[in-house]
Amino acid sequence: MASRAVPLNPTARGAGRSRDRARLLAAGVRALVLLGFVLGPWIFPSFRAMDVLAKIMIFAVVVASYDLIIGYTGIVSFAHGMFFGLGAYCLALVIHHGGEPRGFHLAVALVLAVGLSSVLASAVAFFSLRVKAIFFAMVTLALAEFAHILGGQWTSLTLGEDGVSFRLPGVLGVGWNGGGVLGVGVDGRLITYYAVLGVSVAVFVGLLRFVESPVGRVIESIRENERRATALGYRTFHYQLLATVVGSAGASIAGVLFAGWVRYVNPESVLGIPVMLNILLMVIIGGLGTLYGGIVGAAFIVAAETWLPELQKAASTLLPGVEIAQRLAERWVLYFGILFMLVVFLFPKGIMGAVRQILARREPARTGGQ
Amino acid sequence: MSDPILALEGVHAHIGGHHILQGVSLEARPGRATVLLGRNGAGKTTTLRTIMGLVRASAGTIRLAGERIERRRTFEIARLGVGYVPEDQAVLSHLTVEENFRLAMPCESEESARRLDTVFRLFPALKTYWQAKAGVLSGGQKQMVAIGRAFVTDHRLLLIDEPSKGLAPVVVDHLIESLRHMRDETTVILVEQNFHMARHVGTDYFILDDGRVVHGGRMEDLVNDHTVKKRYLGIG
Repeated sequence: MASRAVPLNPTARGAGRSRDRARLLAAGVRALVLLGFVLGPWIFPSFRAMDVLAKIMIFAVVVASYDLIIGYTGIVSFAHGMFFGLGAYCLALVIHHGGEPRGFHLAVALVLAVGLSSVLASAVAFFSLRVKAIFFAMVTLALAEFAHILGGQWTSLTLGEDGVSFRLPGVLGVGWNGGGVLGVGVDGRLITYYAVLGVSVAVFVGLLRFVESPVGRVIESIRENERRATALGYRTFHYQLLATVVGSAGASIAGVLFAGWVRYVNPESVLGIPVMLNILLMVIIGGLGTLYGGIVGAAFIVAAETWLPELQKAASTLLPGVEIAQRLAERWVLYFGILFMLVVFLFPKGIMGAVRQILARREPARTGGQ
Repeated sequence: MSDPILALEGVHAHIGGHHILQGVSLEARPGRATVLLGRNGAGKTTTLRTIMGLVRASAGTIRLAGERIERRRTFEIARLGVGYVPEDQAVLSHLTVEENFRLAMPCESEESARRLDTVFRLFPALKTYWQAKAGVLSGGQKQMVAIGRAFVTDHRLLLIDEPSKGLAPVVVDHLIESLRHMRDETTVILVEQNFHMARHVGTDYFILDDGRVVHGGRMEDLVNDHTVKKRYLGIG
């Protein structure tokens, strides 16, 4: 719908300026984050750092797409990890069964991932959205577990628990080398990193545009009060279906990116319940209904999972021979749990939710009592 | 007399095993404002919800401009041109005032633009709060958003449930003026406990008691009928 210019009352001008400042600040932070990802390989010139950054980008997309379903539409689905896995397997299997890796394999995998996840999400939503929320959640949980078992048992297609190891074609291949720029080697890994960055940004921006569109507003109104949206003339089921399909397609694209980055998939790494749990933790930590929370949640979990195990190494270096310190350092999962509880306790609406709340409080009061 | 835009005939409705509407029959004529009056629990709100399809009629017929709608779903009834303002100041609190209005006008037209101008004229405060989240508005402001949002769409019939509930007298007087203006453009069915508002907005009335229509007629007759008012509304 075209925007209709409505003149604001002069009393609102102060509030408008404050809003402009907030928007400017938000745009600045966004640009800074993007710049961080773009220059990441030069700022932190190690494979480990690049791996963390790439995984943050990929999981930010997964979490944002999940946020569209759970945060914006209010549908509790446990099948999101399955769509992520579906995307990952699409790339792995297309390349594995397609002979020598070629560029078009990537396009086929992407189309296949989006197509299959859209069809599957439509079918799940069509049969489950009409039932109560708890049954929808149960159906999706069962389906996710079924996909996990299928990934392990259908060995002729998926190679079972052993998983699929594969190479990427052309400049994305590990063997490709294009020299160096400012001390950083331009190789297949770096090119893959920027491919992941490009696709992640495109999908994330697409999701943002979707939630900010008139359709996104309808979806938000359904989450807030479905009956009210219906009384306004909206066929709410169609909108919920659309949100489920778009979110699931987003997760499957992220799955393709993950497989492309890791170059290996097995049922446990992309279809297991821990994957879904991680996505849930990320969305809770980042904040529901914010999309940007996906980046924060993904950064928190990926960074914690990468660097908390280092505690053991640090303990053995700093406190050699202190057995209790060694043993405590081994229990990094425990600290991860404490850290998670602290975040949930301090930011019940997630980190981005808390930031939004603070910004909202800073806005001048603009309502009068009547 | 013109044909009724809405006609209920022997409508029954149940909620959670309770027989709430027990054969409601009433009519609303175009260009008029019909007020549903009655004590708490008489079935006024359920009547509006049944017209809107939010409560399924278990028996009887509901006709909108001659077309039966009692088996239609809520979104279909809304698309047939019935607007609904529930009693709980039905704003979508996470959306801004502007977004609340845009939801009601998915396709902008000359008519919706004209109606939006009318809404701004009736409720100038909305311009000030246009970009504010609807959830932070006061009760009166939320009611303005809810009524204005229903009005911007070119509805054939507007169902409004207790707009004066919980509002200060000065706001109620403002709403009366606005609703009187709106009834000139749209047929209105109003549920109201506040007789002051009912008499100033309504042109016709029906009194409900225990899920049945027990009285009906022109508002000016009711204003002078102290016996009926005392018996069914508890006012003298």
